[in-house]
Amino acid sequence: MDKFVVNIIHRPEMVPEYAEKVTGHGKEEDIGRKALLTESLDIFKFQQETAHKNGLKTTIQMTYASLFNEEAISLAKEHHEKYGDEIALSLLGLPCTEFREKYKTKDFCIWMFSMEDKKSIVDDVFGKFHEIFGFYPESTGSYYMDAELINYIKEKYPMVKCAVATCWEEGPKAYHTCNNSWYTFMDGGPWNPWIPSKANVHAPAANEAEDSGIVAIPHLSRDLLACYDGNGSNFGTHPQNVLRGMIYDTSTWEYPYLYNLVDQYRSLEKYNNGYAYNMMFVGPGWLNKMGRWEAPYELLKKSYEDGMAYYGELKKEGKLDDMTMAEFADYYREKKTYTEPECALWRDILYGSDKQLFWYCDPYMRACVNMDQGGAIVDLRPYAAKLEWPVGIGTPHVTDASYPFLIQEKYRAGYFTHYAGEGTVRSAKLTYNGEEVDLCLCRTSAAFSEEVMEEGKKKRILTLKPVDIEFADLTVKLQTRVIFAEGSSDIEIERTVLSMSNPDAKVELNEYIVACYGTTEYTEDMTSLTLGWVKGSEEQKIPYEYKCRELEKTGADSVYAIVPPIKTKVTMTASNKEAKGYVKEGYAFSPMFTLGYTTTLSDKEVFSTWLKLAREN
Amino acid sequence: MAQARKGKLNYRCPSCFMRDLDIDMFFDTDKQEYYCLRCQYTGTEKDVLEKNEMIRFRYRAMSKRYENFDV
Repeated sequence: MDKFVVNIIHRPEMVPEYAEKVTGHGKEEDIGRKALLTESLDIFKFQQETAHKNGLKTTIQMTYASLFNEEAISLAKEHHEKYGDEIALSLLGLPCTEFREKYKTKDFCIWMFSMEDKKSIVDDVFGKFHEIFGFYPESTGSYYMDAELINYIKEKYPMVKCAVATCWEEGPKAYHTCNNSWYTFMDGGPWNPWIPSKANVHAPAANEAEDSGIVAIPHLSRDLLACYDGNGSNFGTHPQNVLRGMIYDTSTWEYPYLYNLVDQYRSLEKYNNGYAYNMMFVGPGWLNKMGRWEAPYELLKKSYEDGMAYYGELKKEGKLDDMTMAEFADYYREKKTYTEPECALWRDILYGSDKQLFWYCDPYMRACVNMDQGGAIVDLRPYAAKLEWPVGIGTPHVTDASYPFLIQEKYRAGYFTHYAGEGTVRSAKLTYNGEEVDLCLCRTSAAFSEEVMEEGKKKRILTLKPVDIEFADLTVKLQTRVIFAEGSSDIEIERTVLSMSNPDAKVELNEYIVACYGTTEYTEDMTSLTLGWVKGSEEQKIPYEYKCRELEKTGADSVYAIVPPIKTKVTMTASNKEAKGYVKEGYAFSPMFTLGYTTTLSDKEVFSTWLKLAREN
Repeated sequence: MAQARKGKLNYRCPSCFMRDLDIDMFFDTDKQEYYCLRCQYTGTEKDVLEKNEMIRFRYRAMSKRYENFDV
């Protein structure tokens, strides 16, 4: 049965982000200003009232600061009684006079503190919460929650079952958009709810042993195409994000994009066993009385009311289930298995193109397939490694919480590079009589299907519309299928020659992946990598030294790259035992590695390769 | 010359917005214009609003309501 679940979350943040910077401009900093506190509480009241007016229940995430405010506390209690709202606890909104005096810092992002401070702050806010409400919260969250933090919370407060744990693709792009002053680096996670592993929050747990014990939800439901290329904070189910992106008609104050976004999320039930999800979590700073992002308060307010009204309307029509976070965690645990992936075949709903991406996420990987580039894989995160990546002061990654990529077409180019070198991408090239065509230049679209395997597991199959590859005197009609088998860390790519204008012709197919590792645009040291091939008991390998070397072996069982900094082994294998496997080392101007197979294809022939991800240590 | 101030709304620099940068502009009361601290854009409120309309060129489907998400 189809189910579209929505979480609506509000937080009484007594010093809203942006508010002090905006309303307080030209004044000395004073986070205890009465006007600021009053305004913040007014916004919280407005948000709650708007949700309730539309028949929607909320999760009230109390902030540390609000635990010192009698009115916020009594409102939470009243709304819990009257509307069934959940009283939860946010680790956002720490700044207040009490916090600053106690911790002697202006840091406010929980994942950036030292582990010692994280524990102390968690105990402090959970203790204060218990002192006031007489129970511990079942839900918590922040923009990001690192694994060590969640593990500690779960150990000390086992009743916690749900947490807001990441903002999808909020990383270097958000940093740049904010004039290099917004340090939320958390790219590479799931876009929809998941069960995080104990080792790394981004990577879903593969089994009970890896289960962190909570259900994680993303902060906002973001546009899976626009956010990947642009500012994440412009394209989400956050009405004021849409205003920030200027995606509205200035004369009518209409924003159909917001509803398209909600509806496209609703449509994802087709790929996820009848389940779809949305969340709206607007911090009070976005409803500033002074206006924000060129928008006057009246427009900020209207957009929030319209967003809630749309959810309310869907609920009345029986098309939406509003849940608190804790209710959702119970529902999700019952609904999902560990290995069931999250899938999204997503189309452009903003720029007027027919561009289509397919996002896939399971305990072993997150991958993005780009139909505008012939089904090339343009983003790949090796969750199979379950990479331990502590963040915060005192760790090697004070602010960088992103899960590293092997492929990221925006940060490390993709098909197109300037002058020399290669960018990260998993694609294929066809060669005939000295001409070469990369499938990245064959725009197409895809359909999704499933195939039942054993033990209730399924294959998720992306079947691309056939493309024509035109050489000077030969046209090849080729079809690609990208296949993800549940419970495996392989991606199978199958190419079928449907027809050739000359049925006796033979073309060369070169299946390849160009990859590297990193979390930002800038290159990392590649010298710890090893590349090689294996054939039976034979093996040849080279340490990465930027020397532009190549190895090849006809009939290789596999070609591989070992990437120690991210504890990952990438392997490629082929269906045709005569195919030639090869590896290519990069060079300083192109600090990548390439794995691939070449083979000869005839009319009607089918050739498959598998890309396998594994932990290596 | 007196110091610049925030304008009546926090207008962002339209030129920087085009390159995915959100930079609030400040208002120069002497010249009666907004200016960007990062780039060289300056303009009156009218000019800012006009440029903000221009920015929307890339949102070709901004006014379209989708009912089907298949391609």
